[in-house]
Amino acid sequence: MAIHTVYTLSKDDPEARNWVAFFHRHGHTQLSRITIERVFWLEGDVNVSRLHPLLINPLYQVGSERSQLDPAQGPVVEIAYRPAVTDPETPSILEGAHALGETGLLFARLSRRYQFTGLEESEARKLASRFLYNKIVERVREPGELVETLLPSGRPDPVTEISLRGLSDQQLQALSIERSWYAPPAQMKAIQAHELRRGRPHTDAEIEILAQSWSDHCYHTTWKSLGLLKRLSHATAQINHPLVVSSFKDNAGGMEFYDGWVITIKGETHNFPSSIAPFGGIATKHGGVIRDTLGFGKGAYPIGGTTVMGTMDPRMADDELPEGALHPQLIVTESIRATSYYVNPMGIPMMHPVYRIHPGYAKCLALGHSIGLIPARHAVKDSSQPGDIALLIGGETGRDGIHGATASSTGMTGATLEKEFAAVQIGHPITERRFTSALPVLRDAGCIRAITDLGAGGISSAAGEIGADTGVELDLDRVRLKDASLTAWEILLSESQERMLVVVPLEKLDEAREILDRYEVAHVEFGRFTDTQRLQASWHGERVVDLDMAFLWKGCPIEPTAVIEHERPLKPLLIPEPRTQAEWRKAVESVVSHYHSCDQSAAGVRFDTTVQGRTAIGPYGGRNHRMPTNLYVSAPLRGKPYGMISTLAFNPFYGEVDPAAMARLMMIEAVTKAVVAGASYKEAVLCDNFYTPRISPQTAWELSQMVDAIADFSVELGIPFISGKDSSSGTFESAGRKIDVPMTLAVMLMGRVPDVKKIVTKEFKRAGNRIVLIGPSAGDGLGGSVYADTHGQRGDRLFNPGTSSEVRAVWNAVLALHGEGRYVSGSAIAEGGLLLRLFEAAFGSGLGARIDLDSQQAARSDALLFSEFIGAMLLEVSPEVEKGLASLEIPHQTIGEILPEPQLLVCREGNTLWQQSAAELEAVWSKPFREVVE
Amino acid sequence: MSRIAILYSPGTNCHEETAAAVERAGGKAALVHLHELLLGHDKLENYGAAVFPGGFSYGDHLVAGRIFATLMVARLRDQLTAFLEAQRPVLGICNGFQVLTEAGILPARRPGVRGMAMLENQSSHFEDRKVRLLVSGEKTMWTEGLAGKLLEMPCAHAEGRAMIPESGAERPRVSFQYTNAEGKPAADYPANPNGSPNAIAGVTDDSGLVLGLMPHPERASLPAHYSQDGLRLFQNLVRWLKR
Repeated sequence: MAIHTVYTLSKDDPEARNWVAFFHRHGHTQLSRITIERVFWLEGDVNVSRLHPLLINPLYQVGSERSQLDPAQGPVVEIAYRPAVTDPETPSILEGAHALGETGLLFARLSRRYQFTGLEESEARKLASRFLYNKIVERVREPGELVETLLPSGRPDPVTEISLRGLSDQQLQALSIERSWYAPPAQMKAIQAHELRRGRPHTDAEIEILAQSWSDHCYHTTWKSLGLLKRLSHATAQINHPLVVSSFKDNAGGMEFYDGWVITIKGETHNFPSSIAPFGGIATKHGGVIRDTLGFGKGAYPIGGTTVMGTMDPRMADDELPEGALHPQLIVTESIRATSYYVNPMGIPMMHPVYRIHPGYAKCLALGHSIGLIPARHAVKDSSQPGDIALLIGGETGRDGIHGATASSTGMTGATLEKEFAAVQIGHPITERRFTSALPVLRDAGCIRAITDLGAGGISSAAGEIGADTGVELDLDRVRLKDASLTAWEILLSESQERMLVVVPLEKLDEAREILDRYEVAHVEFGRFTDTQRLQASWHGERVVDLDMAFLWKGCPIEPTAVIEHERPLKPLLIPEPRTQAEWRKAVESVVSHYHSCDQSAAGVRFDTTVQGRTAIGPYGGRNHRMPTNLYVSAPLRGKPYGMISTLAFNPFYGEVDPAAMARLMMIEAVTKAVVAGASYKEAVLCDNFYTPRISPQTAWELSQMVDAIADFSVELGIPFISGKDSSSGTFESAGRKIDVPMTLAVMLMGRVPDVKKIVTKEFKRAGNRIVLIGPSAGDGLGGSVYADTHGQRGDRLFNPGTSSEVRAVWNAVLALHGEGRYVSGSAIAEGGLLLRLFEAAFGSGLGARIDLDSQQAARSDALLFSEFIGAMLLEVSPEVEKGLASLEIPHQTIGEILPEPQLLVCREGNTLWQQSAAELEAVWSKPFREVVE
Repeated sequence: MSRIAILYSPGTNCHEETAAAVERAGGKAALVHLHELLLGHDKLENYGAAVFPGGFSYGDHLVAGRIFATLMVARLRDQLTAFLEAQRPVLGICNGFQVLTEAGILPARRPGVRGMAMLENQSSHFEDRKVRLLVSGEKTMWTEGLAGKLLEMPCAHAEGRAMIPESGAERPRVSFQYTNAEGKPAADYPANPNGSPNAIAGVTDDSGLVLGLMPHPERASLPAHYSQDGLRLFQNLVRWLKR
């Protein structure tokens, strides 16, 4: 069929201008201009001029049949999606063209042509490959390339049988690696024994299903082996919290809200794909965790999300970069672009955009959370019944994401970047958005018996899990494909995004179809639940999978994991105390401008924080809406005062010093941030996300210590974990170097408050008010601190926050003060210590503060100002209220007062140690992150 | 009182809160999926006013608002023209504003003839900001009683820079402008989040009944919000429908 082209140029192109500025900052000053031309490739019998209203707006675009770029103006690099990959915009172009009456248009593709004026061709290509496209899903179109058809085409490989009979251990292992199963020896032997027992070889599809179902990513073999999953769920069961509706069973955890509603929480990491292809990896990180919310109970609605990134320092020199790793600046900037690309169109407010660094994150941390809302009566799934229909809804199935589960369970090497390219998915938020709108309607009409998302392991994992108690029979020929060359096992394992499996009672099928059609959600009945207790699938008239559910879900051998107690080689801190005003200035500025303390709103403003009209307090607040609030509060039920509050704690430095102590501190930090805002810890739940190096006996010991610590502590505090995820694959190997991630635990809190209007925020409110520090005293809190990091040190111990009853007593005292309305601003001490909180509160209010250290215990002034004494809080009270605090039995001290002018001042024994204007600090605080991302 | 259609399509994501704001202002909101109109199951004439809410209709494919506008102009042109000729109010918020310009409803109520455009922000990325808008003295139904006032509400968009050709025969009336700390029209980023000339945040047609506004009044309309200034626009609409 004929292929037409339309080239369009925009008369005004900020993107092109900003790329030039970006490349100039990267030293390519000879580049004088970038021109971006778009190309539409249109296949079919069409009158192209009738498509112009769709493709060209003559007010600012010029369209033509041939390229408008003058070759003399510099080299052109044309970038297009690979032939097997569908452009995200293709369906919209087809729909628009058909509406214009051009029904002869069969298919459309797009490409982008970048002209680099002032650069050599080789340099242009180098920049394009580093910054402008992702070779895993896109490619450079060479000039003069012939195109026969735009339609995805191909022929599938047949299903084959693979016999393991008689293979030696070595041969089994070699086969496991060659086929990218990454199954450990014991699993290969179990599959071999199963073949002998049932008397016939497995098909390739069956072994693929077993390998991915038993992967660490899906089966949590490491955690099961160490008994950690049970440890946490037992702690939660022991707490028996009256508000917990669902914990550790479903795709997310659920907590009772108000008026018959439940709120849900889930956190999910997507570290491996984000490390090799950050744009796709991060986009699908969000897509996936949002589907966990949609797949909770009979379908919750997402009302909040986060993006939490841990990378190496984006400012690192190119020659320090480990071979085979992507530059962290690229990971950070691409992640921001991807979060914006995915979450904004989903219409989900951003709660916590957080970026942290650690030299161990060669394989980055890419964490996202999702909060959901669902009527309590729909919060628990029903069991699927024989005769129920398996409905596959959403996007088409392609080759993307194949082996994602097995590849992400293994360590990452330089070679992984090349070999597992298929493990990277591409996200199309519009497809997910369609069913996000439709699912509550489907649910409330009683059409959903159960629902789950298609994530790691794709169809086989979703159908296998949801049909585990009955059996399920799948007809793979019915699955809609975006790539005709997919064979059976690829259809079963594909991790193509934006698909969900809905279990529909047969009598509700017509109604379900009608609702999905109304919302333009593609759907296909591709299976039926049975009573065979088997996972069965047919394809091209053959039964290609016939596995016993019991073997699939219980047959995986869990090998014991060796555990060896281990002491970290740590050095005590050796930091000279600042002596002069100039030294103090330097110390303060280095803390305020540290990557972890600095203004990260250059990323944050790219994410919608107020969509859905539920947001009461977003991630940024204060007078100029740029002060980090460390909070997110929304009013999920429109017109009602009830609030959902969320806080987050994540600190990679602490994990390097003492993982178990860090785990406790992360819990206390998350809870204290909520308490100081006025939210009761008795109406809150937690979500844990672990990220640890590939398991060794030493890391296994440390991991167990961490889990023990939070399990015990949660019982002591009465605050349950109800959801979480673990990844034990944080090891990067390349050119003889092995880089482990730090022992990582991010804790997110979700709680409820009766009235969002009673939440207290951080910014100062009134000059003359007193600043009171309440809770544990600074003491020895510099270990793992930002301040220590500015001296290139970690220290040999973390802050000791005291016993659980001491911690709780402080929380109770502050909640009582809040109940009486006795403080007007408040914040929790965390990264950057007291000093950073003072600066933020001043910056957010236009006021200042004077701190007097005379009354302090701490021998060193820097220890008081920069200690991260987690559990302590800073409260602003009026002078009258301050007098009344004398009777408080909790440790507290008045440390200063609020000044009318935006100045910060620290005195000790009458001498001014340091004094600086908030504006000067703002200048250094605003800069570092902006320089990375703009 | 006649109902107010909240017109949404795949990718629209602000329709529910927009309906909530209309209801809080005392209006009767009806969520109407574009396909119900395209399939002929419903008609624009059934409604007294139409609101095009924010979001990413059809994934912002090609250009924000382009697909929604193309479908509407190609298949609903007569209904649209009749609706506009009957002097029924139209509000486009954010992506809805982009739809109105792509469809030619703004600046001059001529479906299929584009007279202005919303271009990519100068920053070339999405801007989530709290902005303060100065209401101009132009007489419009939407801003009745608000001239000279400063209204606080969020904006959240990547293509909000108004482009009005100098040669255009029919120019829109500027009804809302971004302001700086002094409350004066802002030329500088980020007070002017997208680089819009003349700090344009919102415009109306000649009749003052069709309003396009980049910031989100519905997100500043409930007691839980940091501001309730946006409610004023919806109250004016309800008052007009009740007159």
